[in-house]
Amino acid sequence: MERLKHLPTLRIAARQPITLRFNGRTLAGCAGDTVATLLYGSGERIFGRSLKYHRPRGLYSLDGECSNAMMTIDGMPNLNAELTPAREGMRVEPQNVMGSLKWDLLGGLDHLAFAMPAGFFYKTLHKPSWLWPRAVKGIRRAAGLGVLHPEARFDQRCDAIYPNVDVCVVGGGPAGLSAALAAAEEGLRVALLEARPRLGGFCDYRVRADAQGKPLHQWAAALADQVRARDNIRVFTDAPVVGAYPDGRVAAFQRGGPEDAFDLRYIEITAAGAVVATGCIERPLLFAHNDRPGVMQMGCAHRLLHTYGIRPAADAVFSVAHDLGLEAAIDLHDQGVTVHCVADARTDGQDPLLIAALEQRGIPLRRGWVAHTAHGRSRLRAVTLGTPAGTFRQRIACELLVASAGLTPLTGLVTMAGGQVKYDPRTGFFLPVRLPPNMQACGRLRGLHDPAALAADGTLAGLRAAEGLGCRPQRKIAAAEAALAAAPGAPRGSKWLAAPGKGAKTFICFDEDGTLKHLHQAMAQGFDVPELIKRFTAIGTGPGQGGIPGHNLPLLVAAGQASPASDPMPTTVRPPLVAAPIAAYAGGRHDMAKRTPMHDAQVAAGGRMERVGEWFRARRFGTDPGAAAEIMAVRTNVGLLDASTLGKFRVFGPDALKALQRVYVGDMARTRPFRTTYAAMCNEDGCVIDDGVVIRTGDNDFYITTSTGRAAQTVEWFRYHTRYDGWDYHIVNLTDAHGVINIAGPNARKVLEAMTADDVANTAFPFAACRDLTLAGGIPARAMRLGFVGELSYELHVPASCMETAWRMAEAAGAPFGIAPFGLEAQNTLRMEKGHVILGSESEQRTVLHDLGLGFLWCRTKPEAKTVGALALRDTADQPGRLKLVGFKMETPGDGPPRDGSPVVNGRIRGYVCTARHSHALGEPVGMALVEEELARGGTRLGIYEDGCGGRLRYGTVAPMPFYDPEGTRMRI
Amino acid sequence: MALNLNCPICGPRSGYEFRFGGEDKGPRPAEEGATTALWLAYAHLNRNVAGVQREWWCHKDGCGTWFRVCRDTVTNCEVPTVDTL
Ligand SMILES: [Zn+2]
Repeated sequence: MERLKHLPTLRIAARQPITLRFNGRTLAGCAGDTVATLLYGSGERIFGRSLKYHRPRGLYSLDGECSNAMMTIDGMPNLNAELTPAREGMRVEPQNVMGSLKWDLLGGLDHLAFAMPAGFFYKTLHKPSWLWPRAVKGIRRAAGLGVLHPEARFDQRCDAIYPNVDVCVVGGGPAGLSAALAAAEEGLRVALLEARPRLGGFCDYRVRADAQGKPLHQWAAALADQVRARDNIRVFTDAPVVGAYPDGRVAAFQRGGPEDAFDLRYIEITAAGAVVATGCIERPLLFAHNDRPGVMQMGCAHRLLHTYGIRPAADAVFSVAHDLGLEAAIDLHDQGVTVHCVADARTDGQDPLLIAALEQRGIPLRRGWVAHTAHGRSRLRAVTLGTPAGTFRQRIACELLVASAGLTPLTGLVTMAGGQVKYDPRTGFFLPVRLPPNMQACGRLRGLHDPAALAADGTLAGLRAAEGLGCRPQRKIAAAEAALAAAPGAPRGSKWLAAPGKGAKTFICFDEDGTLKHLHQAMAQGFDVPELIKRFTAIGTGPGQGGIPGHNLPLLVAAGQASPASDPMPTTVRPPLVAAPIAAYAGGRHDMAKRTPMHDAQVAAGGRMERVGEWFRARRFGTDPGAAAEIMAVRTNVGLLDASTLGKFRVFGPDALKALQRVYVGDMARTRPFRTTYAAMCNEDGCVIDDGVVIRTGDNDFYITTSTGRAAQTVEWFRYHTRYDGWDYHIVNLTDAHGVINIAGPNARKVLEAMTADDVANTAFPFAACRDLTLAGGIPARAMRLGFVGELSYELHVPASCMETAWRMAEAAGAPFGIAPFGLEAQNTLRMEKGHVILGSESEQRTVLHDLGLGFLWCRTKPEAKTVGALALRDTADQPGRLKLVGFKMETPGDGPPRDGSPVVNGRIRGYVCTARHSHALGEPVGMALVEEELARGGTRLGIYEDGCGGRLRYGTVAPMPFYDPEGTRMRI
Repeated sequence: MALNLNCPICGPRSGYEFRFGGEDKGPRPAEEGATTALWLAYAHLNRNVAGVQREWWCHKDGCGTWFRVCRDTVTNCEVPTVDTL
C-alpha cells in the first residue's frame, strides 16, 4: 500500500524500504515502522487468534495494551508487534493459530462460548478426577500464546545502568517535557523517561493549532528540542517504566536499536524527586463484537495516518466520546478517508470548533449515539449505531470502526509508590488525591487536556519537585499557578459504559476473552469486589497488564452494585506495569574474573585456565586430563604451584586474639610465634565454612589464610560476629596484595636454597614453621612449611608486584631439576591421597566439623569466647544419622575411579563420592565419599552408581586414610 | 529492591551496596549453660514484624562497616532511629 508522503507529522523514512517475512510471505514497509504498522500497511488485518475462543483479532491500539498483536518474531514468542521496530529480514509468525489465520480450525470454539462461563477453569472438568489432567492438556494446546522451542537461542545484548539524579520525570508528553525543563532550569539533574520512540506524547501526531495558531506537533517538537538541548536532562526514549517504589526508585527498561550498544537495557534510577506525567490510554468502547478486526481505538487510527502515513481504511464510522475522536475523524477525512458518520456518546460538551469543522466537511454528528454491534466475521463489514437504549438504530456498511469510550489516566506509578487515587465523577477518572512524598503528578494524568494547561501544570510539577529538593523558585511557582488557573480546566468525561444486551460477545478483556456476560455471571455468584472478580474471571490478568479492561472493570462493577452510592474501586496495580522481558532484569553478563600475577606466564607454559570462583586458575599443563607427569614431578622431584588466590589477612590490635577466638573453633591462644596452626571456621550450625592456617607474627598480630572461595567474605564475617563487642582490632585483606608460590617435592629445599641466603635447613626451618625470608634481590617473602600435597613444601607469600620476579627465580633455581608448574588437577589428586579435604568438595551445606573427622580442631574449653558454631558442635558431636567422610578403594581397580558425585547406593542412596582419582603412588584408584555413619566402618562394601552404568553398580571398600605416607614423614624431611 | 540506606561513614547510598545482617537481637548469649533451644532461637528465630524494626546492615561495596538502622518493613524505607525497639 502506498504511504502518504507529505504529512508534517510523519515519523517514517519512506525512502528506506524494509521487508520482512510474515506467515511465509514477504511484506514491505519502511524504516520507522513497527512490525504492527508494517503488517497493517501491507494490508494485513488479522494479527492473531484469541486465547480461548480463537476469534480473529486485529490491530486495536499501538502501545501494546492487549495481546492482539503478540507474535513470534525471529523465534522469540509473545513479542508485541506494536512495540517491536520492524527490521530487515525479520521472520514474523502469528500465534495461537490452528490452521491458518483466516480459517482457524478451532474458530468453532467461538460458538461453544456458552460452555465456558466465568470461572470455567476453576469449576468445569474437575470431576471425575481422572478427567482433569487429560482435559488440561487439551486446553493448554488450544489456548495459550506463543511456543518457545527448546533449541531456541537468542543473542540479545543486555545491559543495566543505575543512574542517580535529582528529579526523574516519567512521560515525555507536553506536561513531562515542561516539568523536566522547569526542574532543569533550577540547576537540577533530570532524567526523562518516555515509553514511545519519540518525545511529544499525544501532541506528536496532531496538526490542530494551539491558541497561538501553531500546530500542536510543532509546539511539542519545540519543547522536545529545548529538553534535548539541556546538558542536565538525560532523555531515555523507547524506555517504558515498569515500576516506581516508595523511596524514589524508578525502574524502566529500554529497547535499543542497531546503533545502540544494547538490545535491552534495564534502567534503575535513584531520584530524590519524581514527576509522573504518564498521560492517558484509551478506555475501550463496549458493544457486541467490539473485538472484530477493523475496530480500533481513535489514537490508533490517528497515529496510523499521521505518524506512519497509512490510511487505515477507505471508509470509516466513528463511535467516540472524546474531542480527540472528533479531531481524528476530521484528519482522516482530510486525508481521503470517507467518514460516514461520527457518533459521540456525549450529548454535549464538545469543542464548538470541532463541531464546526465536522459540519464544514459534511460529516454527520450523532450526539448521544453509540455503536451497538460490529458486523462481519473475519473482518468488519458494517456497524449498527444507535441511541443508548436502542430506540433508534442505523446500520452503516464500513471497513473501519473507530471506537473509544474516552480516556483513562495511567495512575499505576502513583499508587505503586504509595499514593492514592479516587474516582472523580466529573471527569469519570481515577485521579490522584494523595501523592507519595517527593512525588508530583501532572498533565493528562490529572484530567487536564488543554495544551496550555498541560504546559503550566507540568512546569508547576517540575518547580514543586525542585522546591522539595531545597530550591526556592517561589516566583516561578506563582506564575505557573496563575497560568494554570487561566487555562481551561479538566473537561467533563463520558459516563457511557456499555451497549445494552447480555454482552456474550462484548469483550471487556481481549487477552483472556473475558466478556460482559462473564462479569455478570461473576457478580450473580456474589463477587462484588473488582479485585476478586478479576481473579475469578481472569479479566485483566493477561499480558496487556490490564491495559484494556483496567478502567471499565471497576466502573461496571460499581454500576452493578446494589448501592449506587459506592465509589468505583480500582484494582491494585503492581509491577511490572508493562510486560518486561526477564532478560531486561538480568542485565548484562559482565565477567569480573580476576587474574593472578602469573596468569600469562602459566598460559605461556601450556596452562589450561579455568574459573575457580572469581579467579582464573590453571587446571593442568598439557593435554593429559589426569596430569600424571605433574603429579609424579611433585612426588619424586619438585613442582611449582601458583596459589595466589588463597585468602590472606592480617589481624591485629589489642583485641585481635578475642576476634580469632570468636570465629575459629580452635584455641587460638595456643598459637605460637611463627608456627602455622591449622584452623577451621564454622557457621552457627557447626557446618564447616573455611579452613586455613593462623600464624602469630607478633604481639597482638596475626597472619591468617583462608580458602580461595571465602576470601571475599572473611572481613565481613569477622566484623559481623564481633559487631556487638566494640573490640579494638583491625583486619586487612591482603589477598590481592600478596602472591603465593608453592614449591613442592623432595627437591624443594634445594630450589629454595638457591633463592635465598637465609638458612632454610630442616633444623632452622622445620615442618609447620613460618619464616620471613629475604629472597635474592631483596624480595621479602613470608615462607611456610605446609604439607597439603604431602611432600616437603614451601609456601612463599611475596608482594604481588614481586611475584613474577620470584616465580622466575624459582624456575631458574629449579632448572637443574627440571622444575615445572603443576595445576589444580595435580594438587587435587596429591592432597586426596593424603586425605586432606577441600571444603566444597568433601563437604556440603550440612557437613559439620565432626563429619570430616576434624572434630579435634574444636576446643571445648573456651566458652568465654562465645565461639561461632561451638554450641552446634557440642550438639552434633555424637549426633546419629549424619554423613561421614570415608576413604575407599575399588574392588576392580582396573576399571578406574568412579566419577565425582556418583551416589553411593546400598539398598537406597546413602551417600555420594566426593573425589576419586587414580593414585599413581599406590597404582590404583582411591577416593573419598560422604556416607551414612553405618557404612563408615573400615571394610564396608559401598555400591557406587555411575551415570550410564545401566543399573550395574560398581563396588568399593572403605579404607583407612591417608592413603599415602600415613606417618607423614615425607613432608617433614 | 528499591532501598536507600544511610551508612554512618559514607552517607546515603543505594541499597544494592549493602548486605542484610538480620534483626538486631542483642549480643550473643553466654555459651555456658546455653540450651539448644535458646541457641536456635538466637541464631534462627526472627520476629518478622510488619512495621519498624532495628536491623544490621553491612556496607559491603563501600567502607565495609556493620551498622544498625531502623527500617519500616511495610514501606521498605529507612526511618529515623527509634530507641524503644
Ligand atoms: Zn560505608
